[in-house]
Amino acid sequence: MTNITINIVNAIGDVYGVEAEDGQIVFELIVKAFNDKKKITLSFQNIEMLTTAFLNTAVGQLYKDYPESFIKESLKVSNISESGKVALKRVVDTAKLFYKDPEALKRSIDEISED
Amino acid sequence: MNTLCNIDNTYASYQKIISLYETNKGKIFDEIHVELKQWFAANMSATLGAVLDKLTADFNTIYFDYISPKIETVLQKNDFLTYFGKQRAVDVNNTTIKFQKLKPTDGKFFKNYVLEELIEDHDAALPQMSQGVKERIVEAIYEIFVNAQIHSNTEFIYTCGQFFPAKNKIEFTIVDTGIGFKEKINQRFGSKLTAVQAIKWAVQDKNTTKEGISGGIGLAVLKEFVEMNKGKMQIISREGFYQYDAKNEVSKEFKGAFPGTIVNLQFRTDDNSNYLLKNEIDIDDIF
Repeated sequence: MTNITINIVNAIGDVYGVEAEDGQIVFELIVKAFNDKKKITLSFQNIEMLTTAFLNTAVGQLYKDYPESFIKESLKVSNISESGKVALKRVVDTAKLFYKDPEALKRSIDEISED
Repeated sequence: MNTLCNIDNTYASYQKIISLYETNKGKIFDEIHVELKQWFAANMSATLGAVLDKLTADFNTIYFDYISPKIETVLQKNDFLTYFGKQRAVDVNNTTIKFQKLKPTDGKFFKNYVLEELIEDHDAALPQMSQGVKERIVEAIYEIFVNAQIHSNTEFIYTCGQFFPAKNKIEFTIVDTGIGFKEKINQRFGSKLTAVQAIKWAVQDKNTTKEGISGGIGLAVLKEFVEMNKGKMQIISREGFYQYDAKNEVSKEFKGAFPGTIVNLQFRTDDNSNYLLKNEIDIDDIF
């Protein structure tokens, strides 16, 4: 496996990673590189603002199609801010649970209906 | 005549604006006369603007027959009245966050607005706001804006705010005239939640209506931040009212319905908490 770096600022043309649409661009680049058997460093250098909506689409949805172990092995992040790390970790943990237990949302609807 | 008297950020004030909408919503090619008396909180411009826009979309003409001088000054400074044929006024105190009407696709424009209105212009007025808190506030505002973009199917997004330097507070409001929480959630899950239940469900961590993609973090993070910051959040969506602060969680139903969703945020600017200390995460242990 060869290594490549995806520079988010360059990929989305912005230092603000906030919109879900921009996250989709990053997601598609990661998928393309995974399919080409590349190891990826996702560089957050110069990113000034992140939302969980952006990170959900950019990274979270990888857990739908790729096993956790594969992602852990193939994806690294660099130059991410402390608050960015916190948000990304939360997005990743949420995504893992979401794809493991797709019925959880339906259950939460039932619970609130009974309140 | 529609008279709005003493409008601030309370349930009763939202009810007054909803009632104005309910009274006039069937009209077409008509005249709608409005009076603003005693007090009108600047950030409520976004709420009133959204309602008046819904009414003008049916070819009604809005007339402000009377606006008390104090209110008029505020609404000229924050640009609201420039949308209704009045002259703009300069805000010498630099405490307004302008009323803005945006399309959901105007993300880049919203970025400049946030930079100008919240980050750069007010630096002198807000020496006490720490960098960490400022970042969290801007992040929260973005999460809400993006939510409106993704979920509401709205034609426009309305934003407005106000700094209160003496009270160390900032208010910021984002309004859409889209589908609302209840309809969105019930369509997705085939459920029959009330408007209040729908809001309560949406603010719980990990709850999302997105299909095939995880989410539901933005509002949960916002709620946690509001608690730490000792701020306040209000969500008004259709008949539902929900308010959360560090001390209380309040929910009620309105008589009638707001034609969309309002998210009103109040933050303390004198908050010196370090929001990162507890959260040290190993960069190699994320995935």
